[in-house]
Amino acid sequence: MRIWKKLMVGFGVYVTLAAIIGIFAYVELRTITKRFTVVEVADDITNIILEVRRFEKNFLLYKDDDTFQEIKKYLAVLTDDTDKIRKEIIKEVGTDNYEMMKNAIAEYDFQINILSKNFKLQKEFISKIGVLTRSIEKNLSGDVLNSFLIVRKYEKNLMIYRDKDIYATLINTLNSPKFATAEVNRYRSLINGLFKLYREEQSSIEKIRSKARNIQTFTEDLSKRERANITTILSRSAILLLFAVLTIIILGTAVNIKIANSIATPLKQLEGITKKIATADFSKRIDVRGKDELASLGTAFNQMQDQLQNTMRFLELANEKLRESRAQLVETEKLATLGRFSAGVAHEINNPLAIINEKAGLMKDYIDMSEDFPNKEKFNVMLNAIFDSVRRCSSITHRILGFARKTDITPEAINLNSLVNEVLKFLEKEILYKSIRLELELSEALPVIKSDKIQLQQVFLNIIKNAADAVEEGGLIRISTGIKNNTTFQVSVEDNGYGIPKEMLKNIFEPFFTTKEKGKGTGLGLSISYGIIKKLGGNILVKSEQNKGTTFTVEIPV
Amino acid sequence: MKKKKEVKVLLVDDEVEFVDTLAQRLRMRELHVDTVYDGEQALSFIKRIEPDVIVLDLKMPGLHGIEVLREIKKMSPQIQVIILTGHGTEKDSEEAKKLGGFDFLRKPADIDLLVAKIKEAFAEKIERTMTAIAFAEEGELDTAEKIIKKEE
Repeated sequence: MRIWKKLMVGFGVYVTLAAIIGIFAYVELRTITKRFTVVEVADDITNIILEVRRFEKNFLLYKDDDTFQEIKKYLAVLTDDTDKIRKEIIKEVGTDNYEMMKNAIAEYDFQINILSKNFKLQKEFISKIGVLTRSIEKNLSGDVLNSFLIVRKYEKNLMIYRDKDIYATLINTLNSPKFATAEVNRYRSLINGLFKLYREEQSSIEKIRSKARNIQTFTEDLSKRERANITTILSRSAILLLFAVLTIIILGTAVNIKIANSIATPLKQLEGITKKIATADFSKRIDVRGKDELASLGTAFNQMQDQLQNTMRFLELANEKLRESRAQLVETEKLATLGRFSAGVAHEINNPLAIINEKAGLMKDYIDMSEDFPNKEKFNVMLNAIFDSVRRCSSITHRILGFARKTDITPEAINLNSLVNEVLKFLEKEILYKSIRLELELSEALPVIKSDKIQLQQVFLNIIKNAADAVEEGGLIRISTGIKNNTTFQVSVEDNGYGIPKEMLKNIFEPFFTTKEKGKGTGLGLSISYGIIKKLGGNILVKSEQNKGTTFTVEIPV
Repeated sequence: MKKKKEVKVLLVDDEVEFVDTLAQRLRMRELHVDTVYDGEQALSFIKRIEPDVIVLDLKMPGLHGIEVLREIKKMSPQIQVIILTGHGTEKDSEEAKKLGGFDFLRKPADIDLLVAKIKEAFAEKIERTMTAIAFAEEGELDTAEKIIKKEE
């Protein structure tokens, strides 16, 4: 995933979670608001009902029209309010419940109307009874009047207590034959009617109370239920909110930590490796994971490091080669300078040497011509020693001059194998004398080389003679020829002699450097050979270990 | 008294001690030896007396031995010249041979070898001179014949 995507995901987690919580909270608040509206409506209705019931009590007590009107007024409000309840609240409450409440209010209204009529009739009946009883009492006398007065007492009790037994006793008394008058009959039917009104009043009151209670209970229940709902929602919301906040904190933090890690870890790795590279340590590579910008950066960085490492290796190699060739150049230059210097010295020595030679020669001439004189023989011996020394000196100077004057190469076709065999013929005696074992590994597929035969002969003579001098009696010399890379002839001369001490290896090509006994070597052989091979564009390599042996390898370009 | 047919040798070298000692030794070996110490002296000597063999050094003050050789061969090609030098290089040796030098020896040289070379050179000179005379006579005959033919 790309870094900006990761960051967007990290940001998105927070935004999404916040949005979910927001929507959730909004929905919950909306629900709570709706519930509250229901509660409000329920409370309104309850309040009105309570008001209605207060008037209802008064109305039952005073049975007056003013109170009735008040009730009617409140009922109108109630009906109005109920009608105005919004559909969503009706839905919330339940259409059945709503209809039931509306019916209950209508029933209440209806019963209150009946009750009001009932009360009016009661008043009418009571006033008629009053008028009628006064007329009856006028027309009666004696026992009958007394009995009637008792009836009146019943009548009063009946109006107060509205008791069935009192009513039965009253009617029974009136059914007595002494009251068999039209007026009493009328009175009886009025009492009957009143009692019937009483009974109806009772029934109405019960219905009114029942309906009022119904409405009250319903609204109170509704209110209570909605409040309970609100409490439930609130506590649920609180828990959910707490949970959501915790989720945001935990999930958001976890996601962002993971994203931060996925960015920081490779950067840290990059930093570490960069520091290593700064100290030229190329051992570590970036562990590339995923497909983001850091992964491509890592891949590019690794490529860069590879390139850098290759370049460094190349530079080191080039540097090493440069050092080597510089050392070789210095060595060659040194040898050339030494050669020139030696040649100069040799030239200068030749003239005085010639004088010594001639003077001593003249002395010998005189002695030869003279007759015997004392110590003549001793003079001859001494003169011969002088001649020997002159010869030694001149052989040295002539060889030096030979080394220095090699300018021209006379190329001719040479077979290196036969060249080696020719050289070995020169050394036959020495090899036989020291009973040296000779191993020849001459490559048969060796092409003809065009080079200076005399000079090459001199080179191999020097090297093989050195090997023969280096080995003990019965020692081994192994000579091999071959061709390397089709570009270079190689002739190796290996011996198992006493070897060259390591500290002397760098001097062996210098003129006059020798490890041989005094008088046995001039120290010019290898230096001359080196000069020759360099002139031919080749090289002489030497490997040596003390008391193990030495290997010279001559390389000549094809 | 010296023999009639003794070889006339001229030594040319700037090392006086060397040249005098060598001259003495060669004389002891029945050679007629004269000495000069540089190239100019050598050339003026030749103009007066023609030697048979010249032993010539190369590195001398004034004229270099090679130049001297060149002049000698121009003036008297029959004179044989042996180079005897302590400074000689291969190049000098080749140059000397090209210019008609008889041989090239390095100092210090063995006296017997030198004497042998001088005698060889002398023999060479004699032969060359004879041949030259023979050629010359032939040439005269030719010319004579031509003249006769012309007159005819």
